[in-house]
Amino acid sequence: MAKQKITLAVTGLNNTDNPGPGVPVIRGAKESEDFDVRVIGLVYENLEPGIYMEDLCDRIFQIPYPSSGSDELIERIEQIHQQEKIDVLIPNFDAELFSFMKNEQRLLDKEIHTFLPSLKQFQERDKDKLAEYGKKYGVKVPGSINLGTINQISDLEDKFDYPVMIKGQFYDAYEAGNEEQVKQAFYKISAKWGFPVIAQEFVKGTEVNVIALGDGKGNTIAAVPMRKQYITDKGKAWGGITLADEKMMELTRMLIQKTKWKGGMELELIKTNSGEYYLIEINPRIPAWVYLAVGAGQNIPDALIKLALGWDVKPMTKYKIGKMFVRYSFDMIVDLEKFAAISMNKEI
Amino acid sequence: MKITEEIKISDNGFVFNSKTGDSFNLNPLGLELIKQIANDKDFDIIRSEMLEKYDIDDLTFEKDFYEFCALLKHHQITLQDDPLNFV
Repeated sequence: MAKQKITLAVTGLNNTDNPGPGVPVIRGAKESEDFDVRVIGLVYENLEPGIYMEDLCDRIFQIPYPSSGSDELIERIEQIHQQEKIDVLIPNFDAELFSFMKNEQRLLDKEIHTFLPSLKQFQERDKDKLAEYGKKYGVKVPGSINLGTINQISDLEDKFDYPVMIKGQFYDAYEAGNEEQVKQAFYKISAKWGFPVIAQEFVKGTEVNVIALGDGKGNTIAAVPMRKQYITDKGKAWGGITLADEKMMELTRMLIQKTKWKGGMELELIKTNSGEYYLIEINPRIPAWVYLAVGAGQNIPDALIKLALGWDVKPMTKYKIGKMFVRYSFDMIVDLEKFAAISMNKEI
Repeated sequence: MKITEEIKISDNGFVFNSKTGDSFNLNPLGLELIKQIANDKDFDIIRSEMLEKYDIDDLTFEKDFYEFCALLKHHQITLQDDPLNFV
């Protein structure tokens, strides 16, 4: 059967040491057995490595940061759509999701399909609401305090022992072993990501993660658990391995079923030595290590595109255990013309 | 003592725990021992075979074997209900 031709727009081509999921999402989509994918790369910066990778994107467009206003971002997408006729759009940054979720219908009216969580689903898993989330859905979560001012450090000391984790709303997390380190992390994070800054109880154990895809009706379409084997100083996985952990799978299915999660997600968990699982974060999008799931037998980007286009997708229940990914850095030699084109014309 | 079902043992001594993602390298003797344990061999049988095969005394073998078993348990390679029951 001939493959269906589609045009896919993807953000997050920043394959740096803090990688976005765009490049592995594209790799997965290109391996689809059902789609012949034409890729439109959407970038914020003119040095995102995905721009310069050979045979990755057919076209590249620079888009404005969501901070310059949702309307400006969506108008730019509509403008690109007029040229390229985007069928499916997969946004890959936490910070841009709000704009795309809010404008889901506006995009759909133009026949740009997305498959994103609802605003309610997105907001209730915010890091500063994790305690309520854990209570509501019956998941263990570390205790936390939302810090609005530095004076609240004494509250923190009353409630938790050091070390504690100090986290930003969207990104960044630092382990702080004393008051001074809490202050440093607080100023650093609040300057970058605003308030509240979240102080979280430190749970000792091994960090494990699950990548999953929910169909919005309570079904888990895909789920693969992984343990980071090599972690960079930014806390990013540089190597990982798929696990056979039924408890993690059960927890994932339960959360997706109860929340009726729609779209890709990543659960970040701490497994304690006594075998308990604490949910420390839910990322409301496909994570950067998605290609491990593809390699293990669950092509999540392909399934997400199908769901976005309204296909009936059956849950994938099998994956290869003990599959690993090892990331690497690579120097590309790039002609100045490409850099000049994206810098000056905002498109290639 | 039972090797948990998530444990995969390669012939070259590489041991992988698919539940935790941990992996270990065994030397040839460790591999021989873990295979005996995996085959549900009784401690007395393992001991007599090892004493016959290697130049080692009873007491040293027993001490080393229990240490090895404790290590396997610590790394969740084996299940052990009764902590006093090593084999």
